[in-house]
Parts: sequence; structure tokens; C-alpha cells
Amino acid sequence: MNEILTQEKSIYLQIAEMIETDILRDILLEEERVPSTNELAKLYAINPATAAKGVNILVDEGVLYKKRGIGMFVSAGAKEAILSRRKNEFYDNYVKKLLEEAASIGLGKEEVIQLIQSGNEA
Amino acid sequence: MLKDINLTLEKGKIYGLIGRNGAGKTTLLSIMSAQNPASEGTVTWNGENVWENRKALDHICFSRELSINLYGSGVSGMKVKDYLKTASYYYPNWDQALAEELIKKFELNTKQRINKMSKGMLSMVTIIVALASKADFTFMDEPVAGLDVVMRDYFYHKLMEEYTETGRTFVISTHIIEEATDLMEEVVMIKNGEVLLKENTQELLERSYHVSGLAEVVDQATEGYERHHEEKMGRSKSVTILLEEGQKLPEGYDVTIQPLNLEKLFVSLCGMEE
Repeated sequence: MNEILTQEKSIYLQIAEMIETDILRDILLEEERVPSTNELAKLYAINPATAAKGVNILVDEGVLYKKRGIGMFVSAGAKEAILSRRKNEFYDNYVKKLLEEAASIGLGKEEVIQLIQSGNEA
Repeated sequence: MLKDINLTLEKGKIYGLIGRNGAGKTTLLSIMSAQNPASEGTVTWNGENVWENRKALDHICFSRELSINLYGSGVSGMKVKDYLKTASYYYPNWDQALAEELIKKFELNTKQRINKMSKGMLSMVTIIVALASKADFTFMDEPVAGLDVVMRDYFYHKLMEEYTETGRTFVISTHIIEEATDLMEEVVMIKNGEVLLKENTQELLERSYHVSGLAEVVDQATEGYERHHEEKMGRSKSVTILLEEGQKLPEGYDVTIQPLNLEKLFVSLCGMEE
């Protein structure tokens, strides 16, 4: 909840990711209330509609749920769900890019694997 | 108002002077240009005291922000062309061609009186005086205040043109920090009348980071670092750290580490206390 927003990505995506990261780090616990869109708006000096867009992504994914008249809460099992989704996305978001960069500088898959195993020593 | 100021400006650099309202930026610039006396201490140019020293002052220009009064007395009642004429007498290296080019680009009506001008137009006049003065040391006090984004962009380009062609030294105060960051070779930050830091802009940014995460983990990760501006919210926390020489970023902690831009760093160092 205390990260800074950057220009590199849409604000609402950053809001969604920040809440997810906080859930992974046990900053927000399951069945606990998350800051309202108005609270997020005040905290980051952003438009409440933008904050709501980020929160709604998480509602659609089932990470958060709405209690009428009270606010948004972290769903039971949210942490596990975020973890498994991020694991699924790990290849696309990280490994693919790693191999692309490796290929462009002439490093083969085997060499990359070796680098991962030996660290920076090789 | 100012305390223990010890500042050396090197020839051929652009300095960004940043500080909050009332921090002492204008006072500092007016003392450095001998427009106001220092109650203590001295200002020297090439080793010579600048106070009432015509030779030294020929090399220093402080283009003050123009303030207007309702009665149209003093500078306020002058026409732009008369104000610029006075400036041209005062600065021995005055570049009339440059002044005219800027008047045209800014679309200024030089017959207009100063007290009839908008805030942006007043800034344009101070920019013309500063650039056309051709003074080796030129100080500008919020030159872009009130200018629209197109004019600000034009000013930054024109300033860099002038700087790259002449190697003049500029000190520029601004509140629009983000836009001007890449222009400043060094940043001078002042807080409550004191110089908080004076450092190469890029080097300063390369050692400034924002660390956030679970409060206890952030505390562990940042132990032993120069810490500023701690903010807590629930179980989470953030802190600004400034790496000292040879120091590396914390490793092996589940925290988010983000680089800071100059504006965010400024708020961390000079912002309101929680």
C-alpha cells in the first residue's frame, strides 16, 4: 500500500498489483477489509474512478469481494489464488523475456540454465 | 532568513535551485547578485567581493520575478519596451537581436504596461532579460511560473541552446521539478534557509530509493541506511533511503525497491512531517 505509482504502466493496473502484493506479503489478510476507493484516491492523489477500476479487476478475479454497505474484503483463499496465477504467468512475464534477451546477445538456452545454476560466478 | 550558507558555483554549469515556498531561494539569489546586502558573510566573484563592485556585477544577472502593484508606480507602470531598454543599459553584453527574437516568439506587445500583463507574460519578460543579458552568471527565479506547457517547452530548449553555445552559468529556481530535472547538472536543495544538499543530479538520483513492504521487513531491510520520510499504513510501511558511497541496495528481503525521481525525493526530504 506504500509503493509509489510510476508513469510506466496504467495506474489502475498498478493499484491492482499493489493490493495483490500486499496480500502475498500478509500486509492485507484474508477476510480483512481493504482500503475503499475513496481512501485509495486520497492516499495516492488519484481519481476515485481510477482506483475503482483497479479494485474491480480484483473483484472480477475473485481476489476481493464486496460486502454491501461495508466495503471490499480479501476473499478466503485469495493468497493461494494469486500465487498460482502469478506462477502461471511467470513464463510469459519473465522467462520468455529472459530467453529473448539471451537470444539477442547470442546466449543459448543451455548457457542461460548454467548461469542460473552457477549464479554470477561463471 | 538564511543560515550558514557556503556555496560555490562553478563556471559553465546549470544549477537547479529547489526549495519550498519561503525556504529562502529568492533571498539567496538576490544576495548572490548583490541586489540585497548579506547581514553576514560575503559573496565573491573570481575572488572579488561583489558588493558595489561594478566590474563583478557586469558578469552577474539576476532577473527578478516582476511583481505588479495596482498604482502602476515604479517598474509596474513601465512599458515592456522601456523596461527592456533599461535592462539593455545595465548589462554591458546585452544581445538586442536575441531579445527581439524572444519578443517575437512570445508574441509580446512591447507597448503594453507591466501592470497590465498576465503572470505568464511577466515571466516572459524576466526570461528575455535573463537570456539577453549574456551575463556569465545568470540567476532566474521561477522563470516558468504561469507559462503554458508549450512556452515552458520552448524556454527549456532555448535555454539549452544558449547554454551549449556560450557555456554561461545558470542558476534556475523552479517548482516544476520534474520537467527541469534533466536540465540541471547539479541540484541545490534548500530547506529553512540552509543548503540541505548540493550534488550532481544524476548521482543523487542513482542513490535514492523508495523501499516499501511489511513494516518489520522494511525495518530489517533498511537498517544501517540513511533513512528519510517513513510512512506507515496498517502493517505496511515505506521509507526513502539514500545510499552512501560503496553501499549496495538491500538484498534478499521481500520488499519493493523503486527508484525515486527528483520531485518525489524532494517531497521526502523537504515535505511536511506526518
